[in-house]
Amino acid sequence: MKKYFLVILALMVTLASYASSHREAPMIADDPLADNVDLYAFRSPGNMVTLIATYVPGQLPHGGPNYYSFGTNIRYEIHIDNNTKTKGDDLVYRFTFFRIDEDPSTFFNIRLGKQNLRMYYNMEKSDNGGRSFVTILASGSVAPPNIGARSISSPVGLNTTYQALMNKATRFAHTGERVFVGPSDDPFFVDLGGIFDLGDAPRQSGMSIDNLACKNVSTIAIQIPISYLLNNSAARTPSSILDPNYVIGVWASASRRKISTLSPGINKHSGEWVQVSRLGMPLTNEAVIPIGSKDYWNSITPYDEISDTLLDRYFYNPELSLYMDDSLFGGAVPAFSKLRIQRKSLGAFDFGNGKDGLFGLKGNPALAGTALDDAVFGTLLLPGPGKPRSVDLWPIFHTGVPNVIPYQLATGKNGNPLAAGKPFINNFLPNGGDMLRLNMAVPMTPRNSPEFSSMGLIAAAVSGLTDPKYNSNTNIEFIPNMDGFPNGRRLEDDVTRIELQAVAGVALAAIGLWYDDYVVGQSPVTPKLVNVLSYKTGVEANDADFKPSFPFVAMPWSGDGKCGGELVTPPAPLAVAGTSMLGLSARSVSSPKARFQAVNFPNPFRDQTQIQVEIEEAGQYSLQVFDVKGRQIQQLYNGNLNKGVHSYSWGNSGNVAAGQYFMRVTNQTDKTSQILKLNKI
Amino acid sequence: MKYFSKTSFKLKNQSWLVFVLWITSMIPVLASSHREAPLIANDPLADNTDLYAFRSPDNPNMITIIASYIPAELPYGGPNYYTFGENIRYEIHIDNDASKPGDEIVYRFEFKRVNEDPTTFFNIRLGKQNIKAVYTMSRSIDGGKTFSVVINEGPVPPNNIGPRSITSGVGLNTTYEALITGSIVNASTGEKVFCGPSDDPFYVDLGGIFDLGNSPRQDKKNRDGIAKYNVHTIAIQIPITTLLKAGVNAVPTSILDANFVIGVWASASRKSIRTLNAGGAAPTVSGDWVQVSRLGMPLTNEAVIPIKDKDYWNSITPYDDFTDTKMDEYFYNPELALYMDDAQFGGAVPSFSPLRIQRNSLQGFDFGNGKNGLFGLKGNPALAGTALDDAVFGTLLLPGAGKPRSVDLWPIFHTGVPNVRPYQLATGKNGNPLAAGKPFINNFLPNGGDMLRLNMSTPVTPRNDPKFSSLGIISAAVLGLTDPAYNTNTDIQAIPNMDGFPNGRRLEDDVTRIELQAVAGVALAAIGLWYDDYTAGGANPVTPKLLGVLTYSTGVEKNDKPFKSTFPYVASPWSGTEIQ
Repeated sequence: MKKYFLVILALMVTLASYASSHREAPMIADDPLADNVDLYAFRSPGNMVTLIATYVPGQLPHGGPNYYSFGTNIRYEIHIDNNTKTKGDDLVYRFTFFRIDEDPSTFFNIRLGKQNLRMYYNMEKSDNGGRSFVTILASGSVAPPNIGARSISSPVGLNTTYQALMNKATRFAHTGERVFVGPSDDPFFVDLGGIFDLGDAPRQSGMSIDNLACKNVSTIAIQIPISYLLNNSAARTPSSILDPNYVIGVWASASRRKISTLSPGINKHSGEWVQVSRLGMPLTNEAVIPIGSKDYWNSITPYDEISDTLLDRYFYNPELSLYMDDSLFGGAVPAFSKLRIQRKSLGAFDFGNGKDGLFGLKGNPALAGTALDDAVFGTLLLPGPGKPRSVDLWPIFHTGVPNVIPYQLATGKNGNPLAAGKPFINNFLPNGGDMLRLNMAVPMTPRNSPEFSSMGLIAAAVSGLTDPKYNSNTNIEFIPNMDGFPNGRRLEDDVTRIELQAVAGVALAAIGLWYDDYVVGQSPVTPKLVNVLSYKTGVEANDADFKPSFPFVAMPWSGDGKCGGELVTPPAPLAVAGTSMLGLSARSVSSPKARFQAVNFPNPFRDQTQIQVEIEEAGQYSLQVFDVKGRQIQQLYNGNLNKGVHSYSWGNSGNVAAGQYFMRVTNQTDKTSQILKLNKI
Repeated sequence: MKYFSKTSFKLKNQSWLVFVLWITSMIPVLASSHREAPLIANDPLADNTDLYAFRSPDNPNMITIIASYIPAELPYGGPNYYTFGENIRYEIHIDNDASKPGDEIVYRFEFKRVNEDPTTFFNIRLGKQNIKAVYTMSRSIDGGKTFSVVINEGPVPPNNIGPRSITSGVGLNTTYEALITGSIVNASTGEKVFCGPSDDPFYVDLGGIFDLGNSPRQDKKNRDGIAKYNVHTIAIQIPITTLLKAGVNAVPTSILDANFVIGVWASASRKSIRTLNAGGAAPTVSGDWVQVSRLGMPLTNEAVIPIKDKDYWNSITPYDDFTDTKMDEYFYNPELALYMDDAQFGGAVPSFSPLRIQRNSLQGFDFGNGKNGLFGLKGNPALAGTALDDAVFGTLLLPGAGKPRSVDLWPIFHTGVPNVRPYQLATGKNGNPLAAGKPFINNFLPNGGDMLRLNMSTPVTPRNDPKFSSLGIISAAVLGLTDPAYNTNTDIQAIPNMDGFPNGRRLEDDVTRIELQAVAGVALAAIGLWYDDYTAGGANPVTPKLLGVLTYSTGVEKNDKPFKSTFPYVASPWSGTEIQ
């Protein structure tokens, strides 16, 4: 068996497809400010857990003049459950925003050190499940939009660097959490255009495209000591790397006041708070819940799902699996042809939509002591016939997966999926609701490790089945990427690919419910398994590198950079020609083109700066220095200049005050000019 | 502040018929009205992005009005692709008679959405579409007092998601062009209507211009910030006879017939009270309709009105502009002019260095912010009979000292420009800007509000005419001043591009450039108030400063996709699978 799996290992290089929760339901698609886009939860160095919630999808970096930010009158919340015995959340972080216009007289967003639509937040924390809140960070500053070099780094703007602004927006709450609130690159990656064109991912013709590349989102990132997140019965050090007391469930939401009242130019809000967006597991409301239930899904909490009876069916018999089954609509979605679910696993088990999956085993003594035994978890995992995915997709989204038979790797099972195998996950927190569930006891896989994989837990499963380092025993061992999705979610995890593979039954295969082409006694690494594992959406990594330290998300794309629109080819110059009764002379105008270039150094300077002007075409030139108010301070030169390099110095007259100056070099022939900024310090 | 009454004004207006036109237009910078004010930036469905009004090139007896909504739609914005919103009134308003208060004609569009297959998360599957919109178009010809439904269940085509959803057998099994064609409705009242997604016809270097005016970019890599994004378009083609002021003969008396001027504006309104419901049920709306977005002239609320008044501006009507006294100041002394004046912040915006307003025109007139412009002429007998004579238009154009742009920017946005001295080209003026010159515009409809004003009697410039120019009336002015075909007399002549912005707005018109040039005083120059480097009495007013302004370009001068030659003219929307 070992050698078969080496084949698989070699296939594991990759991944993914679309947007976790962007524009995922009709109502919230029309309310972008409150639209929760993605949620991440992962361990970070120093016994910390980082939670990142992103909002406001598809922001154009150049979306001025009123650049995107968080909304006022919205509660943005990150919720944590660490104990299924206590009802509802155990910890809640709430962010609310207010706005200040520092210079109401301009239409620019940033000008002369001032910013309009400048956002601040108050961060509150509840440790009693949301009954009461305490402010732990007041008037925190949100990083401004990364408009462009003139607005951010020039003296007519904020005169700083964007990195410095991000650093400034990274703060500590009174209670010790580290917080960043501001725009960032959208860390998600997906071929939206392909996947939502009826599942065309990877694209059957042409290249797959990351449609979230070059887009920004509004990010809330919190880094929290693990000790803050533990429930009361957890030991200060975990009993194992799969300690069940170290599991947290995380979800995020946005709520608005029930009533909004418009009057001319003003929008007032009143009434109770109504949840309008939520997010736990990626893609749930995007590609599992059908359109008729999406708005409803957004309106309820994960705790409401325990009593809900409408939504479970979409996990028991998911729409996506229709497209992975040749007896249903498999033929209609060629991009998914590598993804085929088990219709006759081990010669007996049919996981096709409407079939029974493992339900036929109900009451069978072979289930005794397993998670599927009614005496263990009740009817949670085998609720009835015709619900084939109650044993894999449903718990992955609603309870997490316990380290209990049959949820152990096939390693050591000797062909019987109901035997004990090698542990690889325990993120079981059975509250029944959609959350990201993270076992905080699982060690981190370093991002620079050669074994780090965006396939998350699927990569860990493959290693546990095939790598001789791990597959020779059934001990609990740390396998790289056990800290990956769906055990929490790292920024790098290719959740689109992982979830599509999961819909195709890869989790069932991992625990020994092999694909239909497996023949007992032969290699379980069959062509069908290889197909599923090698399936990719064609977009497997983010377009920007993540940062090695908090807040980990990449800097937002700037509005004046490569993501700020399509390059245009220079237009033909306007020609003005003719004569006239006015005595207008005939004259044609050609496009000004650079006939010179000026540079200065050092800059900034203390005593004097050297100015070099390289002339490509001889002519009449003038060199003038202005102050920031546009007053001419000095004319350095006015006259003919020959082709070549000409040097001047400025600043040494002794009476030049420190500050910002502009030097303008003008070609008097065609009126082109260049401005140099001179910073005297 | 505006002392003239509309009725008295109309009488005076009728008595004037001389020559010329004036030029250009005005104002500012960038994306016509995308995300232009804080409140509406957060309500994209109701965000009016652009408005166009032009005589139809393939059917000159019809006027085409295009209003676009929902800025910067990502063509791949699934799974719930964009469409018009429910509970929003999208309206196009027309004023054709300044002597009557308010609109004369209003077209109202209201949308409903249906899910044809609620069991899937895909937008289109097996011939069915979710979030499918249909509309009702109502028309009022009594200024909005009563409406009649003209189109019921008008179809809105889906987004162009991709070939599997549109053309394949598992999708709609058709072509996207067929979906567009099939969505054009001919109303019984004579209008032709299209509502649906389209390429955004506007083009602008958003990233450059809003980075403190960096347009053209100093590194020369200009970008069209709205290339490859879609909008939702309402296009309506209306017979000129429908739009004409009551009692006017359908045959114009000239190509600048004062009775053929219409003012057009668009808006979106929502009900005043919205109540969210539990369980994800659609919100309940009630109360009065409140205007949340409006658009007439491009860029007004984007780059003229400062942030503190943008939401207010969106909430009022053009007729409210008439009595408002707060907004005028932004036109009399526009912020943008600060960046075109070396005595102010000119040095801080190097991209605008070719744009320098007249501080010493004809060695007598200073149009710098806070200066008097032409106000020093007040009461001077030389003004007699001109538009600046109090006896003619009251104090409309010379309201006071320190309002230099009351003679050009303010009227371009608020009244249109009459064919009255001094608003005629310098051609034939022999150096005196107050003399009669060559007519080039008459879109005067003095109701005081921000609108696109179009003289429907001005002939269409064919889009394939070698002289067709995206510079609109600036191009017409340049030809009227310099082309021997036009500059040897002061007759009313059809000069190419007299049908261009700000005489209405064609899809092609480069309004960002035109308005920046206008802020830099190009309209003043066109009527003979030359730039500072021209010495009064000198031989050649085509000075380096004038050439600097005329040749100024943002570097982004045309749309990323060609327009269609027939209705609805806008280009088909970008497909979700074709965008890199």
